[in-house]
Amino acid sequence: MNDGLTARLKSPLSEPADFAEVLPLGWPQLAARDLAERPVYLADERVSLGDLFEIQGTPVGRIRFEGDLSAAVHFGVGLAEGEVTVDGDVGSQAGSGMSGGALVIEGNAGPRAGAAPPGFKRGMSGGELIVRGSAGVEAGASMRRGLLAIGRSAGERTGLGMIAGTVVVFGASGADTGLWSKRGSVVALGRITPPVTYRYACTYQPPHLRLQLGRLKARYGLPVQRRYLTGQYRRYSGDLAELAKGEILEWAAK
Amino acid sequence: MKIRGVFIEDTFAEAFTMRVARVIITGRSRRWVQAAALKLTGFATSVIGCKVEAGIERDLLPGETPDARPGVSVLLMTMGKDDLGKRLIERVGQTVLTCPTTACYDGLPEAPDRVRVGSALRFFGDGFQASKVIGGKRFWRIPVMEGEFLVEEKFGMLKGVGGGNFLILARTADAALSAAEAATDAMASQQGVILPFPGGVVRSGSKVGSRRSKTMIASTNDAFCPTLRAVTRTALPEEVNSVLEIVINGTEAAAISKAMQSGIDAACRDGVVAISAGNYGGKLGPHHFHLRQIMSGRDT
Repeated sequence: MNDGLTARLKSPLSEPADFAEVLPLGWPQLAARDLAERPVYLADERVSLGDLFEIQGTPVGRIRFEGDLSAAVHFGVGLAEGEVTVDGDVGSQAGSGMSGGALVIEGNAGPRAGAAPPGFKRGMSGGELIVRGSAGVEAGASMRRGLLAIGRSAGERTGLGMIAGTVVVFGASGADTGLWSKRGSVVALGRITPPVTYRYACTYQPPHLRLQLGRLKARYGLPVQRRYLTGQYRRYSGDLAELAKGEILEWAAK
Repeated sequence: MKIRGVFIEDTFAEAFTMRVARVIITGRSRRWVQAAALKLTGFATSVIGCKVEAGIERDLLPGETPDARPGVSVLLMTMGKDDLGKRLIERVGQTVLTCPTTACYDGLPEAPDRVRVGSALRFFGDGFQASKVIGGKRFWRIPVMEGEFLVEEKFGMLKGVGGGNFLILARTADAALSAAEAATDAMASQQGVILPFPGGVVRSGSKVGSRRSKTMIASTNDAFCPTLRAVTRTALPEEVNSVLEIVINGTEAAAISKAMQSGIDAACRDGVVAISAGNYGGKLGPHHFHLRQIMSGRDT
């Protein structure tokens, strides 16, 4: 089986590095040497991806980044196709503005993963952003479409101002999760306190969650317990200060 | 050709190209899956009078369905492309949306032709409906008094085959019925085929047109009616006193051939004189299922 490309960090990043131009359109078709030429911006210089990473393999639409990328900002920005895996932590605004494909972060994500880039109104507009660890504040802020799954805890204001799309949090959700959401869905499998601008609707079994959670388990191996598939969820409608077409689905443990 | 003493006539079944959709219904239990499927496939024996032909293809185990619940696979078939979308919207809307605990999914995800179903039914939600894209497919969540009805936005549509058939010519009505039951049991749950008539069996095979009316497009197949043996040009051997027909629709001709082979084999039993088939001289339908070729294994 061809595992695609592998990018191994040559030495730890000693300063913030901006990866915004590494994975926009067209990367899955690039050979290792061509991808190596894409730019990464350090504080005061522009370097090539190949300067930082040893890139090997054959392009098949998959790439795996190995090394500590907690200093990498804007990683996966504009991702539209293919599957990108990072085997550790990633810095702020990972997957910001992605529109397709899958970005799988095996570790933790910094603030505003999948959120709108500064100056933009919309965050993710498609694709699947999987954070196996925890995510920082305002993950999924202003997302328009797509799926953000967080394997552990989510920071404050997760899903802030969501236009639509889905955020699934396996651990605890931070304060004000879902605040100002228009049509977004927050699925909280752990502890959550819905904002005061949400109103309880009912406790039921949302049929689509069997598909959504089943897919997260089958495709990404996320820890979807059977009780999440068969259990009841408390539905809160909100944000009533916005369109009120959004929801928080809180697993009710039965 | 004879099979266990039953004569296989040198004739063929003549079938037509139809449009087919596969609908997957799931529910909390087999009870509600069956309830929805029976209503969905009700009054759907022949396009002549029902606008659509439908039947249960097979039961699905939880491991075979999109949401890991018990399910059933149903085929719906029409003569035209446009008809299929209309029938799906009518029938899913009236029989699955209304049925407790059920959800409804497309069973032909690879088919390039798509018809809108969920995107039409969503309007029942009166603006409160919501959609979710999961794995690249859009689903509609329609709020209902029970909770939510989940339906896939679009369903695949393929060219299928309708009107595969064979006739069981028996000495008695009991023998014909026993043979028909054995045949339908043998064909049950075979992937890619449905038997759209009651219990899979037709007692009222038809011929094209009518002797008495220009407006009727079908009337009783008098050549195969035992009670008319003395007054019509009969096709029945002397010892035959009852005839039953099995009609088989499918997603492809090969599936129908395979079903006919197992069905005819099961029908060849005591009391059955011959197996025949219905056709129109070969001029109307492009699919010809020759009984002897099928039973000799040359057409499966």
